[in-house]
Amino acid sequence: MSGVKLEKIVKAYGRLEVVHGIDLEVKEKEFVVLVGPSGCGKSTTLRMIAGLEEISAGDISIDGRVVNRVAPKDRDVAMVFQNYALYPHLSVFENIAFGLRIRKESKGHIEKTVKEASDILGLTPYLDRKPAELSGGQRQRVAMGRAIVRRPKVFLFDEPLSNLDAKLRTQMRAEIKQLHRRLGATSVYVTHDQVEAMTLADRIVVMNDGNIEQIGSPMELFMNPANTFVAGFIGSPPMNQLQGNIEKVSSGLQVRINDTVIDLPNNTNVEDGQSVVLGIRPEHISLSNNEGTSAMSISLNLVETLGSEALLHAKFGEQDMIVKAETNGQIDHLSEISTVYAPTDLVKVFDAKSGLVLSEPFSQGSNT
Amino acid sequence: MSSGQDEKPESGVTEYDSKKSFKDKLIWLGDHFRNEWQLYVMLAPTIIWFLVFLYKPMYGLQIAFKDYSIFRGVAASPWVGWEHFHTLFSNDQFIRAFWNTIKISALNLLFGFPAPILLALMFNEILHVTYKRVAQTIVYLPHFISTVIIAGIVTTAFSPTAGVVNTIMGWFGLDSIYFLTRPEWFRPIFVGTGIWQEAGFGSIVFLAAIAGVNPSLYESAVVDGASRWQMMWKITLPCILPTIIIMLIIRIGNIMEVSFEMIILLYQPATYITADVVNTWVYRQGLESGQYDIAAAAGLFNAVVAFVLVMVANTLSRRYVRTSLW
Amino acid sequence: MKMRYLVTAMLATSALSAGALAEEDYKIVDEPLELSIQMNHKRYPVYKEDWPVEIEARKLTNIHLKDVTVGANLRTDSENTGKTEALNLMLASGKIPDIVGSSRIKDFVNQFGPEGAFLPLNDLIDEHAPNLKKFFEEKPEVASALKAADGNMYYIPYLPDGKYGRAYWIRTDWLEKLELDMPETVDEYEAVLRAFKTQDPNGNGEADEVPFFARQWPEMLRLVTLWDGRSSGSDTYHDFYVDNGEIQHPYAGEGYREGIKNIARWYADGLIDAEIFTRGSSSREFLLSENLGGSTHDWFASTSGYNRLSEDIDGFEFKAFAPPASISGKRIEEHRRIPIKPDGWAIGGTNKHPVETIKYFDFWFTEKGRRMANFGAEGVQYDMVDGKAIFKDSVLNSDEPVNNQLYQVGAQLQGRGYFQDYNYEIQWSNEFALEGIALYDEGDYLIDQFLGVAFTADEQKVYDKYWGSIRDYMLERQQTWILGTGDVEAEWDDYLAQLDQKGLSEVLEVMNSAYKRQYGG
Repeated sequence: MSGVKLEKIVKAYGRLEVVHGIDLEVKEKEFVVLVGPSGCGKSTTLRMIAGLEEISAGDISIDGRVVNRVAPKDRDVAMVFQNYALYPHLSVFENIAFGLRIRKESKGHIEKTVKEASDILGLTPYLDRKPAELSGGQRQRVAMGRAIVRRPKVFLFDEPLSNLDAKLRTQMRAEIKQLHRRLGATSVYVTHDQVEAMTLADRIVVMNDGNIEQIGSPMELFMNPANTFVAGFIGSPPMNQLQGNIEKVSSGLQVRINDTVIDLPNNTNVEDGQSVVLGIRPEHISLSNNEGTSAMSISLNLVETLGSEALLHAKFGEQDMIVKAETNGQIDHLSEISTVYAPTDLVKVFDAKSGLVLSEPFSQGSNT
Repeated sequence: MSSGQDEKPESGVTEYDSKKSFKDKLIWLGDHFRNEWQLYVMLAPTIIWFLVFLYKPMYGLQIAFKDYSIFRGVAASPWVGWEHFHTLFSNDQFIRAFWNTIKISALNLLFGFPAPILLALMFNEILHVTYKRVAQTIVYLPHFISTVIIAGIVTTAFSPTAGVVNTIMGWFGLDSIYFLTRPEWFRPIFVGTGIWQEAGFGSIVFLAAIAGVNPSLYESAVVDGASRWQMMWKITLPCILPTIIIMLIIRIGNIMEVSFEMIILLYQPATYITADVVNTWVYRQGLESGQYDIAAAAGLFNAVVAFVLVMVANTLSRRYVRTSLW
Repeated sequence: MKMRYLVTAMLATSALSAGALAEEDYKIVDEPLELSIQMNHKRYPVYKEDWPVEIEARKLTNIHLKDVTVGANLRTDSENTGKTEALNLMLASGKIPDIVGSSRIKDFVNQFGPEGAFLPLNDLIDEHAPNLKKFFEEKPEVASALKAADGNMYYIPYLPDGKYGRAYWIRTDWLEKLELDMPETVDEYEAVLRAFKTQDPNGNGEADEVPFFARQWPEMLRLVTLWDGRSSGSDTYHDFYVDNGEIQHPYAGEGYREGIKNIARWYADGLIDAEIFTRGSSSREFLLSENLGGSTHDWFASTSGYNRLSEDIDGFEFKAFAPPASISGKRIEEHRRIPIKPDGWAIGGTNKHPVETIKYFDFWFTEKGRRMANFGAEGVQYDMVDGKAIFKDSVLNSDEPVNNQLYQVGAQLQGRGYFQDYNYEIQWSNEFALEGIALYDEGDYLIDQFLGVAFTADEQKVYDKYWGSIRDYMLERQQTWILGTGDVEAEWDDYLAQLDQKGLSEVLEVMNSAYKRQYGG
């Protein structure tokens, strides 16, 4: 099985440790996205898999073989770079064929393979052009073509879409997803963009400060963030995080924030009086008082209109919060809002000190 | 985006509208200078430099066609047509000097041009930082040594009695050779000295070009399985090719300018047959009676040859490698 | 003690009275007159108005020279091309000062004087310069040599005094060590050089001696005189010479062929420095101080100074010896001090005071002026003793060479037209030089010099057209013959034919026509 396995991987530059012993297993044909803010060690991890960086400690195995000391070319991986890494003096055809020529493949094989790849990527009309004569998206496809023709065990993507404009990025995202379905190759993809991670990944690895914060499917991370960092990183806009204290009352659990109390599900593992962070996703807050909700008085600062939705930037007591509301084509009424309702079932509670989640995970989200 | 951009096409229309009156044009010109005067101020030094150091001296070129006397001055000296060129081309020593120039330059180009590139490629492969810096400094050094001293070093090194070259040859039982009086040795020694002196310094521009190559090209190639050798051939060299071509064209433009001082210091009457170049020939002629007009004619001829060569090189390069000086 | 006081007092009075007299005698103008001057020489790049000699001259003549020098002769190379750089710059600037003094001014004024850049001096000298007139009347050959092609004289030269320049030198202590006599003939000279090579006179066990060496390789060519050839007719290398009133070139003569053949043989046998063409100007210093050099042909004054090496090298003695007799028995010293230098000064074409200027030039040919030009300031650099200028001990014993001290006060300026006094040099020449000069004086080995010709424009064209190529060709063949890559015997006829084809006869023709015009031969 051509999976990738990282065990206790450490990367240090001299005394400075940037990756602190991470464990990760990428299964065969799985599409795993490493996501995190810049400097979190995700690119370094990818480059260690590729063999472009030495491993300071731990083991990396590809396809069951430990490759710590194996040269990049013998790891049977292909990598797509952020700035495409196209050879400016070579035509599209030659760029795609580069790896094959290096490996001294036969001429016929090269022709055939490049042809297939260019057909898949829609590059056939451009094979004679130089990279400088291509658009950004086309260049990105060429870069992928170079990886495809190698038929590697593992594809590595290092922020491949970050140089594209927003519209092209959305389009290329879809193409990569399709390509993965079609080729079914094991892929490790690095990005700082959580939307990209959500849309592409079978599983997402959230990294921060050289550590893995959480590994899970996109919906798992969305619904059950393991800590405040993941909660704040996944989702757009991110989860609202409000400081408060637990109160155990006869009717169940509550969080008191200033004068407001918000009901919590009963199965939350908290103590009376504990300092917690209450997490509520902006899209889970409703404008109408339904059953099982707690009212929150807010003062509205700004209404940001996105079209079908609007973001309400508001103050809840001293704390900022954002509410995502459907517009249904109308926004005038939104500026009048002064009370919103937090659904008891969907709020999350994190320990204020450790940041770890205290709520029981949802079970229904794991199926998606 | 800004309003400034929106205005531009409008003023452009004014500029080319032939129906506008002269007065409008003047107004446009006034506005133009008022708005863009900073650009003209920045342009001025270049224009002045060209006028003073290039165009004004060109006026003096006419002495190539005159019987020039410093006292009478350029304007008052009588025209003599092509006489000086006649003198040059009927002189077999000038012809010989011309071909010597071409030959020495061609050798310089053949061996002296690739040397700094090779050196730069080699430096690029050195990973140890301190070692690399020390090595680079050492090969840059000869560039900063005066030509007179270099010539002294060469003379000593190739001395038949105490020179290091003959000493080493002696270990192998070879007879000592008085290199600097042997016509057949002059060119190798001259070209070799030039390489020794300039290859290190010349490598700087290529090192800079190599430093400008996107490092991910190499990483990508590493992942694709390219060896260092393949990376040099398939990435480094092609990526610095435009720099190489530009340097080559410039070099071709200087083909008639061999290091004249070095030749003066190293040649002997016995080696004139291979060593005498146009500049040294003119120099020796000039000291007979200050024949500036002949020297100017030879200089003009040099310039014409160099110009033609540069044009040809530039055209070929633009056609075949799509890189050119202009 | 008393005596000395008396002498000093007498000297002081005589100096005073001479000064008082002079002020009357030498005044050229009543009101002080300012004249502009450009003066270049590599030893003193610009004219300095505060040189003591100039201050004195100003007092005496009432002529005040103002320095307007542009440029400097900074380039130094073996061919002296740098020496007229400042002149060219001055001419190109279009302003010619009243007086122009420079090294290498001769060709310059002879070319541009007829075009009007400089004034002809003949009539001015006749009418206003009695001392100069007398000088030229006494030395008509000098007057002839100064003439430009149009018959006029355009500059007053620096006229060196003393006859001797270079001589043959040999390690006499080596001769003694090897029990050899001073060589008197070319064969003996060869035997001595061979002994130097083979018998290890420096005693280090290696045959590393360099029997004959020269700082300037053309000095080796002087050896052709030992086979009755010639190498040059003047103190310029490869120059023409006068043979029975006809100008010839030495490198086309039979004696030259014989000489080159033998020089090549000496070179092949190691009697001549193997590196003579490339060792350069430091070879004398190096070979003598390393105890390697045996014999050379070089200047009296500077070469004799190397006897100071006896402090380091036991027994070192380097002495001049008379030129060995040639194969036909002639003893010739080809080099001598040339009586006229191409250095000196001229009057600018726009000078408004030519009469005053020529009178000023004339001043330096008076006894007083000549003494100042040679010895500096009386009472400072020299004293008068028995009617002769004698340098003060402080000058003679200074660490700085005497000539350098004089340049610094404005004496011995070779950008000035003056007649040198050999007494100035004799006073600070060392014993070895004086002994050598006495030896050469005894034998009368000097020969007449070719003092150069001035061409008309047409002659100049012929000369320019052919001469450069001919000279290059001569030198190329000469070196290949000496180095043994060519054979002078076998190639001689071809060589002469080539010279002819390259226009040697045309060049000789214009040389001779110019010579006859100038010297009336």
